[in-house]
Order: sequence, then C-alpha cells, then structure tokens
Amino acid sequence: MELTVQLLVYGILMGLVFALIALGLSLIFGVMNIVNFAHGEFMMVGMYIAYLLSTYLPLDPLLSLPFAAGAGYLLGIVSYRLLIHHILRGPMVAQLFGTFGLMLFLRYLAMYIFTPDVRSIKEGILVGKTLSMGWINVDASKVFSAGVCLLAFAVIYWMIYRTKLGRALRATSIDSEAAKYMGIDTKGMNALAWGIGGATVALAGALLAHFYYVTPTVGMLFTLIAFATVALGGFGSIVGAFIAGIVIGLIMVISGQFVSELKFSFIYIVYFLVVVFRPRGLFGW
Amino acid sequence: MRQLLIDIFSFGDRPRFEKIGFLIFILIVFIFPWIVTSAYGRAVMIKFLLFALFGLGWNLIGGYGGQVDLGQAKNVGFGAYATALMIVWWKIPFWVTIPVGVFFAVLESFAVAYPMFRLKGHYFAIATLCVALVWKELFIFWDWTGGARGVEIPIRTGVDFAYMQFNSAIYYHYFILFLFLTQLLFMNWFRKSKMGYWVQAVRDNEEAAASLGINVTNTKVKAYCIAAALGAVGGSFMAVYYLYIDPDAVMPLDLSILIAMTVMVGGAGSIWGPIIGAAILIPLDMYLGAWLGAQKRLGIDFMIYAMIMMVIAAKEPRGIWGIIERVRKKRSR
Repeated sequence: MELTVQLLVYGILMGLVFALIALGLSLIFGVMNIVNFAHGEFMMVGMYIAYLLSTYLPLDPLLSLPFAAGAGYLLGIVSYRLLIHHILRGPMVAQLFGTFGLMLFLRYLAMYIFTPDVRSIKEGILVGKTLSMGWINVDASKVFSAGVCLLAFAVIYWMIYRTKLGRALRATSIDSEAAKYMGIDTKGMNALAWGIGGATVALAGALLAHFYYVTPTVGMLFTLIAFATVALGGFGSIVGAFIAGIVIGLIMVISGQFVSELKFSFIYIVYFLVVVFRPRGLFGW
Repeated sequence: MRQLLIDIFSFGDRPRFEKIGFLIFILIVFIFPWIVTSAYGRAVMIKFLLFALFGLGWNLIGGYGGQVDLGQAKNVGFGAYATALMIVWWKIPFWVTIPVGVFFAVLESFAVAYPMFRLKGHYFAIATLCVALVWKELFIFWDWTGGARGVEIPIRTGVDFAYMQFNSAIYYHYFILFLFLTQLLFMNWFRKSKMGYWVQAVRDNEEAAASLGINVTNTKVKAYCIAAALGAVGGSFMAVYYLYIDPDAVMPLDLSILIAMTVMVGGAGSIWGPIIGAAILIPLDMYLGAWLGAQKRLGIDFMIYAMIMMVIAAKEPRGIWGIIERVRKKRSR
C-alpha cells in the first residue's frame, strides 16, 4: 500500500516534468508539421546551464531557471532561422536529417566542452532534501519541479488560447497559407513556436538537473520519451501532452520498480503501440 | 539464366564515365593491400568496405524505398550475435552462421514490418528507432547473450577458412571485398528487377503505384526484410573481424545513424551513393578519431558529421551524387 502510493506520487511528479518536455515538441509539430530530433539536446543545454551557474557562480540552481528558459528560447529561434527555415520546404528525409544533424551537433559540442563525465548538482536549497507527508517521502526538488511545470503549462495554455498572439499561432497551425493571407507573419509564428519549444524544454532541463545526472548524451532518451508522450497525447495537442506526460511518468516509475533494466523499453513499446493502433493519440485531431 | 547473369553483372545502362569510374575503383580496392602495407591503412580500407556494404543494404529501404529506417543496427546485431554465439557455443563454422543470422534478422523484420508500415514519414522513422533500442536493451538485459559484457570469440591461430579467422589483414580485406561485391551485384540486379521498380514506384507516389496494381504494403515489407538480410551479413563479418562484440559495439543508435548517413551523404537511391558516402565519411572518421584520440578531445568528428548532415539536408537532399548528376546535366545541355 505504502509502496503503491509512493510509486503513484513519484510517477505523477515525474510525469509533470515529462509533460513540460513534450509540450514544446507537440507545439512545434502542431505549427509546422516537423519533428525536432534535437529536442532532448535543447533540454540538455538547460541542464548544463543550471549545472554551470550553480557550480561556478554562487547562485542557487533555482535562480538558473530563467537563464535556462531564456537560453532555450534563443537556441530555438537561432535553430529555426539558421537551419529549420531552410529545410522546411525540402523532402521529409531532409527534414529528418536536418534536425538529426542539429541533435548530433549539440550533443557532441557538449561532449567537446564538458567531456563525457557524468555530473550532478550538489548544492542548492532543494537538492537532496526530502519532504515527509505522513508516511510518504518525496524529494523536495521533485515536488517543486512538478509545481513549476504546472505553472509553465498554465502560462503556455493561457498564451495560446487567450491571447491574440496565441490565436495567430493557432491559425498558423491550422492553415499556414490562409493565415498568411490574413496578414499573420507565419514565419514569425514558426520562429515563436521554436522559441517557446526551446524555452519550455530548457526550463524542464534546469528543473531535471536538480535530481538527475547531467551528461552530454542525456538528450536522446528524453527525446524518445517526448516522442512517446506526444504520440500518446496526440501530435499538436497541448492538453494531450499534459495528460500523456503523467501516464508516461507512471508507466516508467512503475515498470522501473519491477524490471529496472527495461524501463525505457516499456516507453518505446508504448510509442509503438500507440502510433500503430491509435495514430491520433488520446486527444489528437 | 543467361538473362539473369546479364542483369547481375551488366552495368550497361549506366553512362560511360560511371563504368570507367567503377573499373578504376575496383582496380584500386583489389590492389590496395599490396600498396598500403600499414596495418592502420588496411584497417581503414576494411572499415570503408564494411560501411559501403551496410550502405548498400540501407539504400534498398532508405534510398530506393524512401523509407527512413533508423534501426538498421539491430539487423547488424542479429548477424553478429548469431555468428558469435554459434561459434562460441557449438563451434559451428562461420559460413553456416551467416544464413542463421540472416534468418533471424528477416524473421524479426517480417514480424514488426506489418504494424510498422501502417506508419509513414516521421512516425515510421521514430518507430524503427524505438524497435532497435528495445532490442539493444534486451540484449543487455539477457544473460544468454552475455549481457553488457558481450561475447568473445576464442582466437584461432593461422589461417582458418572455416571460421574465417586470419592472422593477416589481407585475408580480411578480400573477405569483406567478396561480401561487398556480392551485395553490389545483388543491388545491381535488384535495381533493374521488377521488385526494384515496384519499390521505387511506391517511393515516388504511393497512390499511383497502388492504382497500377502494386501491393504497396507488401512491397515495403519485402524491401524492409531484404535490407535486414543484407545488414545481417555485415554483422556476421564484424563478429569474426573484431572477435569481440557487445550491444554497444554492434547495436547502438550511432551505428544506425552512421549507416543511414553514409547513404544520405553519398546519394540515396543511386547505386554508387553508398560507396561515395562511405569513401568520405569512414576515412574522415578514422583519421579524426586517431588525431582526436591523441588530443583527448571527443566529439569533433561527430560535430563535423553533423555539419555535413545539416548542410546536405538544407542544400542538397540528394547528396553528392545529386551534385554530380546536376553538373553532368548542365554540361550535356
């Protein structure tokens, strides 16, 4: 009983982080129908920023969050302007290899700068602390991360569904041509989607760095988890990404409890089953 | 029978400069180990031929078939493990293990292909990647495969043609050259066969192909399985060449990417593309690796790869072969 509740709580907390990671991928896919293989590498950048700021400057890792989000935003915009913009019109294969190239570039740039060493954040207000609620013990950093993820989700949701900018973004995602004729700067919207995507995932990375090790190769795994999450929630759906993130978190934590060596395989299998048998996902259109 | 032999060995439909280029290439690889005597140079050549072979197999599904498969490493792994385990457990000669590895690769590919080909484009690419990673995790997880420790093939002394273990790289050179040429001739036959035209028709326009009576799914599944078989052969070679395999060596994602990349860089969907791609990437990789190993700095080789990949994706999705074709068209006009 205690174990069950503990696992459920952990699963939901991890799931909220996964949901924030998947949000950007889903948004980018929804707006311009392109899959970003470098998504996890954007997250890795966020993790390194949190690590560097908290290790080499007298800053608490919490204070690195806005820096990570800002860097992610810039990275997204720059990637769009320099690369994605040029491969959008090309064949699907070229798009795939373009973002794959971006992924390899960021990953091995990190490898070059930081060497493959595994690092982790050692000091911080929340690092290593546990909260006890009755007989449930949870990491304070995980609870806080989940809270920030909820908040970020609410902000993005509000931005997309309640503001004029969000309406323009949605118009672009539904019909980019028509949106252009209505005077919407669709290229700007594309860049914005990449910016938001980069900012949210880098923020998630900075949160994750509180309780997860940092290596240059950490990104691929989370890219795949994000793919599974987005496929499950339905490509392009924000609410779907939120709920699917929690489901994926639960699957990973529960399966990890029983066969820890294969916990990622379960996520890949979920992706496979979902796209094959319900390609729209849970909430896709 | 005569027609079949002509189809296999004839490059008659290719322009003259391609035939001449191919002859020069064959000549060079044949005399190469007699000119270059350094162990390192020979190792580079063997790796080049191995990846050209992998590229030929991938080109079938990824180039002619237009299906971006990012899981070819799993087939390499099946081949390598079939060979290594059978030699270690039962001392079965190498040549018997090749068909077994091919059999398992095709069986697995056939089993996952039908659900997989309900997917297209990005979804398909990610699914192939997921399947390959599940296999890799399983091979690490299982005990009977040696787990993460891998499998070591006991070393035999001298020259052994049953187990294909040699004390000199020259033997390995001609051994991989033989496998490479078989696959090249197979692909030469394939691209002119009915099946080859079906595969290309499906790539270019599925609806049109279907309306002409081609069974789209069956064609894709067959192409996927044949590509798996070709990859497994290379895996078997890896087992007896390196004499030590583990999931990180023969099944990693990086291998899948490198295989796909050689073809993309060289030119997907052309018979020479994989060879050109491997001729550029493999020496680059080996020399950068040697130079960087001395510098103790990792990653520059892959950063250069990544740059090449991004530039090719943005500027010339048909790879170097696409550039050659374009130049030639301009000249002939």
